[in-house]
Amino acid sequence: MLKAAVPRCPPLLQRRWQTHHSHQPFPPDIHQWSHPPSKATVSDDEISRLAAKPRRPLTLADLVKHGKPPLRDADLLSSANFTVSLLPARLAHRIQALRNLPFIVVANPNVSTIYNNYLHSLSTLEPFYKKPIETIEEEMKFTEAMADLVRTHSNTIPTMAKGFLQCRKYIDPAEVTKFLDQHLRARIGTRLVAEQHLALHMASTGEAAKQKPDPNHVGVIDLGLRPADVIRQCEGFVGEVCELKYGVRPSLVIDGDTDAEFAHIPMHLEYIITELLKNAFRATIESGNEREPIEVTIASAPDVSTTKLQALRKLSVSEENAYDFSQDGLEEYCSSSDADIGPLNSAAPCITLRIRDRGGGIPPEALANIWSYSFTTFNNEQAAAAGGDNGTDAGLNTIASSGSDQSSIAGLGYGLPLSRAYAEYFGGGIALQSMYGWGTDVYLTLQGIGKMEEAKRAPSGYEILQGEMAKKE
Amino acid sequence: MLRVAPLSRPRAFCVARCVVSQNRRWASSRGGRNPPPWRPASTLDDWVDRPIRPISLRQLFFFGRTLTEGRLLSSANYVRMELPTSRLAHRLREMQRLPYVVVTNPHLSLVYELYYKSFETFRRVPVIRTLEENDEFCKLISDNLKEHLAVIPNLVMGVLECQDLVSPDTMDQFVQAMLRARISRRVIAEQHLALTDTFDSPWHVPQISSENEFVGEVLLRCNAKEIIERCGRFTQDICKSSAGVDPIVPEIRIQGHVNATFPYVLSHLEYIVGELLRNSVQAVMDKYKDTKIPPPPIDVLICEAPQHVVIRISDQGGGIPRDIMSYLWSFCKGPRRATRLQNFKDVPTLAATMQEMRDSSLSTLASRPPGLRLGMGLPMSRVYAEYWAGGLELHTLEGYGVDAFLQISKLGNQNEQLTSRASIDGV
Repeated sequence: MLKAAVPRCPPLLQRRWQTHHSHQPFPPDIHQWSHPPSKATVSDDEISRLAAKPRRPLTLADLVKHGKPPLRDADLLSSANFTVSLLPARLAHRIQALRNLPFIVVANPNVSTIYNNYLHSLSTLEPFYKKPIETIEEEMKFTEAMADLVRTHSNTIPTMAKGFLQCRKYIDPAEVTKFLDQHLRARIGTRLVAEQHLALHMASTGEAAKQKPDPNHVGVIDLGLRPADVIRQCEGFVGEVCELKYGVRPSLVIDGDTDAEFAHIPMHLEYIITELLKNAFRATIESGNEREPIEVTIASAPDVSTTKLQALRKLSVSEENAYDFSQDGLEEYCSSSDADIGPLNSAAPCITLRIRDRGGGIPPEALANIWSYSFTTFNNEQAAAAGGDNGTDAGLNTIASSGSDQSSIAGLGYGLPLSRAYAEYFGGGIALQSMYGWGTDVYLTLQGIGKMEEAKRAPSGYEILQGEMAKKE
Repeated sequence: MLRVAPLSRPRAFCVARCVVSQNRRWASSRGGRNPPPWRPASTLDDWVDRPIRPISLRQLFFFGRTLTEGRLLSSANYVRMELPTSRLAHRLREMQRLPYVVVTNPHLSLVYELYYKSFETFRRVPVIRTLEENDEFCKLISDNLKEHLAVIPNLVMGVLECQDLVSPDTMDQFVQAMLRARISRRVIAEQHLALTDTFDSPWHVPQISSENEFVGEVLLRCNAKEIIERCGRFTQDICKSSAGVDPIVPEIRIQGHVNATFPYVLSHLEYIVGELLRNSVQAVMDKYKDTKIPPPPIDVLICEAPQHVVIRISDQGGGIPRDIMSYLWSFCKGPRRATRLQNFKDVPTLAATMQEMRDSSLSTLASRPPGLRLGMGLPMSRVYAEYWAGGLELHTLEGYGVDAFLQISKLGNQNEQLTSRASIDGV
């Protein structure tokens, strides 16, 4: 029997291979791959050269140092050049990190989409980092490239999650968590500098420049952000979804320093607060305690003077942060003229929010996993449900699509780890304390920018220009 | 099975006495810079090699529940073997591994000598076979406990003085290991003394004791609410007494699962809760001392889960400044080192005066005046909390207040944690 079987096999195999060969060249042409390894025009040498450059640290103060919009042309150009000084090294570094993942992961269509997006974005930046941006026409082109970058990467998180979900058999969950953590944190920085330049450009040109500027906004940063207002706004949103899904909405009281304000990015704060309130509201309702209000306490610390070096040192100590910038060369950077951003680097106010619910706490067995992207620990059923386009666990999860990303990461368990990544990006943090059988306390700390009073009173670029014109006349 | 010391009983005690007299001579010169003498290392080697036998709260109280002569004697022999091994020999060996310059520090060499003396005393005690021998042994234990009352202040002072000589993390690990071993020695020694007391009391009948009672040092049903109330009143009184004319002390409110009970060593819990409340009451009083508004209350929540009891203490005393935060759990780091060192100089005398009232070093520490800030309440409370497999966490809302979370393992079946956090000497 065995003998009979053996001779039949080779011709069959051969025939199949031959037919295959007759229709398609081998290896196939690179553009006919379902997901080509690379179609971008950036050379490997260029990527390694850029990735080896030190990644310069980014602080909130860096983002407001170009002045208040509407900006004069010179300031707008310096903002563009500042942006272009940060981006290529960061993109190249991400490309290298992706390249170091196992082949089977990057070959996945979803992950390879992300990889190609990065290559594409780096290639669009090439004309700008080769020589400084000197004219307003070049700045316009650069702004277009920024808009393209923000658009291209807007759907990264769900695509990436889907890719890793499909590859979960071949890669260790701890490794996935580590990679995603670094990637998502690096992405916060990349998007932020791009969005900041876009926002500054928009506010300084066209119709917007002719209107009376908002004294508190510098691009994406609000110099007088009031946590109490953000909490109320997010409460309204989360409460509505609760009413829709459960028919009840728990109440929320705010105490402590309710008038506190500081300089931060409203987009980030809204994302974090929405995630945290969502957890608190859901736990409170599901444990049948909706009559117990959720308590939010706002604390604002007196300004502590600190130097930029100290602040950055603190930021770059943990391993999660090492992707974004490193201790190497920090001191040289801080003593260089680049780092000098005037009075803004001398003090760091600190806001702490405590969100206290009576939702029964977190079971001890779940506590270990709260900071990992929970799809990494899904079982097969959950993975199938989340992998499809419509997650079965809709309801409150749909809220996850709000915030800075107009994309759906519903049911993928991104809420807490991503919130913490946002908080930690500028030196804050989130801590959580569960009392199982009673409730949960969450502590959110955020650091703003010092000496905001001066910055708020400072004239905008347009006003300076007017002043200069008046002098000439 | 047990190695019987090749010495007859009277001689053993003679040796012990000799050590005492030697030590007295040494003690008279303790102000000087004399390094501790060299001793042959081989004796210590034998004891360091023996395994530790950790105990759990549950073992402590089940063992003591039905007390018979046989059990009392086996308890005595457990203490006799256990004290010199892990709990003294390992600490001595670890001290010997520290740099010479550290051990010759006057405070630390005092600690070293005290330890060596105890080790020499206990390792020579032969098997205890009768109640009379047990009584002598108990006398030895309680003398030893009294003598060691000054260890904590000396240890911390020594460590503060040697801060620049060794890396602060090494020092912290060293202090934590020392304290853990010290707690463990006192737990098993005091437990045995308490059992002997119970056995000797005229009304003792060997039967299962009723539920609501102490077995030795272990209180079977610690009621969190009662302990918080008691420590709260004590703390309020102490803080009131030193805060000028007619101070307003913040109220302490308790809510949550107020009926939660669990077995615990009462003095440990009182110490931790006392330190935490003291921090809170003092912070609130400091913040509101110049205002006419009544200070906000301190909110205590008791939460009972299947395996744990969590006590949360929330105050509105202004929180902890950022520059202190990272040194909070350290015995020797931080910007307030000099004041702390000065304050410590006052503690040994305190220990001496209070000891007549109650032979516990913890009560001495608990009743120190509020102005005396030692900076070791939190790190030490954490060592105590972790000892019975619990935990202590602190979250600050800078500019507002502090929440402290004390987690207690409820079932009492967790072994004492002799090597948690820092795996100190590879026992």
